Amino acid sequence: MNVSSVLIAGGGMAGFQTASSLRELGYAGDITIVDASTAPPYDRPPLSKDYLLGSSTIEHLAFAKPEWYVEKNIALVLGSAITALDPDSGTVTLANGRDLCADVVVLALGGAARKLPLDTGTASNIHTLRTVEDANALHAAISVGTRLLIVGAGLIGAETASSAATLGATVTLVDPFEPPLVPVVGLDMARYLHAHHAGSGIRTIQGSLTQLIADDSGDYVAAVLESGERLDIDQILVGIGITPNTQLAVAAGLEVDNGVIVDSNHRTSHPRVFSTGDMARTRTADGELARRNEHWESARLSGTATARGILGLEPDHADSHWFWSDRAGIHLEVAGDMSAAAESVFRGSTQDDSFVLFRVNGSTLVAAASINDSMAVRAARRIIAAGTAVTAADLANPAVNLKKLTRGIAS
Amino acid sequence: MSENKFVVAQDGDIEDGEAIKIDRAITGADDDIAVFFDNGEYFALNDTCSHATASLSEGWIENGEVECPMHSGRFCLASGEVLSMPASENMRTHRVVLENGDVILYPGVPAGVKA
Ligand SMILES: Cc1cc2nc3c(=O)[nH]c(=O)nc-3n(C[C@H](O)[C@H](O)[C@H](O)COP(=O)(O)OP(=O)(O)OC[C@H]3O[C@@H](n4cnc5c(N)ncnc54)[C@H](O)[C@@H]3O)c2cc1C
Repeated sequence: MNVSSVLIAGGGMAGFQTASSLRELGYAGDITIVDASTAPPYDRPPLSKDYLLGSSTIEHLAFAKPEWYVEKNIALVLGSAITALDPDSGTVTLANGRDLCADVVVLALGGAARKLPLDTGTASNIHTLRTVEDANALHAAISVGTRLLIVGAGLIGAETASSAATLGATVTLVDPFEPPLVPVVGLDMARYLHAHHAGSGIRTIQGSLTQLIADDSGDYVAAVLESGERLDIDQILVGIGITPNTQLAVAAGLEVDNGVIVDSNHRTSHPRVFSTGDMARTRTADGELARRNEHWESARLSGTATARGILGLEPDHADSHWFWSDRAGIHLEVAGDMSAAAESVFRGSTQDDSFVLFRVNGSTLVAAASINDSMAVRAARRIIAAGTAVTAADLANPAVNLKKLTRGIAS
Repeated sequence: MSENKFVVAQDGDIEDGEAIKIDRAITGADDDIAVFFDNGEYFALNDTCSHATASLSEGWIENGEVECPMHSGRFCLASGEVLSMPASENMRTHRVVLENGDVILYPGVPAGVKA
């Protein structure tokens, strides 16, 4: 297919990176990014961290300055949601009635924060955190002494707990799992991270909500746990994951299964339509459906892979999975799959300000997670991707330079 | 222009793929300066990543690039140009030369410009 126009639906990390990579790869045709948000494409991770704390601005979150779009000849159509997609003609319809048409349409719509099933009322004090507007509302709702209940202790719930505590809120974090996050960071690291909350004055409760109690205005004043305990609250944040924004794809007849199904070139079941980022789910060469990633770096890499797919280039070599999370005094980095079967090898100890936890299978490094030692995980990421043989003794020994191990030199 | 230069290391002090940080209190510059040694060449950039508060001297240095230790934004060591998200602003370069075994930094003089 000769592509001379690309319409990117959604200007999050994946959509923005698709546009940027198309230009880097030499594509000279039209590029249009359409986003429901009125803000030019911006970065989401700070929304639960610096931005929520009030120490960053929306300008600083922008992926690029306005001049960049001019220089790269990328059109932005902001402030109107896409309501329909016609794959055969490559047409999207916007809420304002406008139709836009292109040779290729890229669905990069991300996900929507899941709502609490109990939340059926009209309360104004229950929040989710996905957009800059959400972050503004949450920031405005928190002051010293605010009793904030956070439902779900995943990455966003935990980070927000930490930021809110820093803002002076009295935070209670409820999650059915003890410790939470095991599938994401593995058991050993999950335990460490969960224990850290107490040090920030955050109360953690294992359990789930059975009831929300509203006052006459409709706002929630209390939550009841399955244990029977009643928590009096001022604000609630719900952080129980996202559902991929697949409605348009479903209506357009694309293949969808907890994500829009794409091949290794990010092409969907319709040749004119690609999908990328949090909402896309890859069917591997052997026919299996891969787990959908919901991390920044996978969204970025998937944007680049999508641009390559559109231009008919072979996929890039696969880097190992990597992400970070920041909370009170802790910078966590993870490479690889921490929940895969393997043995734990520590470099340093959980009592230290910084340490590394490797997951090793024989001489194969499967995954690594670090607290305040990101260079260790950067090294691990390269070792995992290259399949460099390691020994548990080298990994555990702080005197062994991990960067040298990436080059296969033990010193 | 007044001669503003500092011997910051001896050749061989900084291992390949490593960097040192020169405090702004020493240079009088508006930021600390990271001096990198990569593949036989010296480079210098402002130390504080243009994206979030992190020290590039603690970053991953390889193939003429430094990757920030916080969120992995990447910069070209020679030009300071931003190469990868989440950073979106270039880093300022400083001239650094090797003379008779001295690694000499010219704070405020862009790389490639003769002091
Ligand atoms: C608060 C928060 C903190 C995070 N922290 C981290 C972290 O520390 N580390 C990490 O690795 N990851 C983190 N993430 C995850 C990371 O930000 C996501 O994986 C990434 O943003 C996914 O990119 P995306 O482009 O697929 O989707 P998104 O970034 O969600 O972008 C989708 C875009 O599509 C637009 N859109 C949706 N529907 C429509 C429509 N119908 N019409 C038009 N536009 C539409 C939206 O407005 C949005 O701009 C965090 C996410 C959040 C929300």
